Amino acid sequence: MKTRILGAAALAAVVVAGANALFVVPADVNQGDAQRIMYVHVPAAWLAYLSFGVTALAGVGYLWRRDLRLDAVAVSGAEIGVMFTAFAIWGGMMWGRPVWGVFWQWEDPRLTTTALLLALYVGYLLFRRLTDDPHRRAARAAVVGLVAAVDIPIVHFSVEWWRGLHQGPTIGSPDRVLNPAAPGQFVIALVSMVAAFTLAWAWLMIRRYQLARIEWQIEEHGRLGRISAARHAARTAAARAASGEGAT
Amino acid sequence: MTDVWFVVAGWGVIMGGLALYAGLLLRRLGAAREASLRIRRDAEALPPPAPPAT
Repeated sequence: MKTRILGAAALAAVVVAGANALFVVPADVNQGDAQRIMYVHVPAAWLAYLSFGVTALAGVGYLWRRDLRLDAVAVSGAEIGVMFTAFAIWGGMMWGRPVWGVFWQWEDPRLTTTALLLALYVGYLLFRRLTDDPHRRAARAAVVGLVAAVDIPIVHFSVEWWRGLHQGPTIGSPDRVLNPAAPGQFVIALVSMVAAFTLAWAWLMIRRYQLARIEWQIEEHGRLGRISAARHAARTAAARAASGEGAT
Repeated sequence: MTDVWFVVAGWGVIMGGLALYAGLLLRRLGAAREASLRIRRDAEALPPPAPPAT
């Protein structure tokens, strides 16, 4: 019930904040309407970081506690993070064409490290399919998730460490929080979209976690069924062999 | 293509993708819950296991 309320609140927040960003906030003087793409691009990028951060932390938690519920959290974060990373890349491309004149540039460190982040976590999800044993899978995935998480700070600080097309932080760095390089109305629209998307993310995470738990139970049932069938077959074969020996 | 079409494409894919993922997630969750219930019902319907032969 609480999750349903959260879902409804997230939907309402996305609709209200989205309508404000699209129809109420004025267009940027320099970038025109293309700047409105930032209101979905930035929240998507933030939620990609958050999701992969959750995956890494849940992986550490699993390695420490060996609790499969933490592995369910990790896989939820990875799947949802892949989706938000793809959204961030798409939004960036749609903004880049009218403002930079190109959809993509491989020489830009932010773009390239973000593409690498997407590839790493798609690899993480594929890697999980390599083994059926839930504990072995969770342990290996936790290590892969931790290694992949190294790319998160690289993506974030790439605009400060290297030169590229992508601009520096507008509100995201400590010295910009109280002195943003954008008008207040734009910042409020952006922050409300981030909040609305974060609510939607929380709802998606809860639902994906529930799915991971049920899938694990079904998988476990199938595994136990296969073990039981194999034991039954072995017992039947042994009984037949014994009766055959008795007959001769 | 004018800027507005880039805005439509950017927002459309992201919002549409989010709605599509949420819808598919609910469908996957519903199917998994149903499969889990079926397994539980089947397990309850099975006779108790025979004691091991001595």
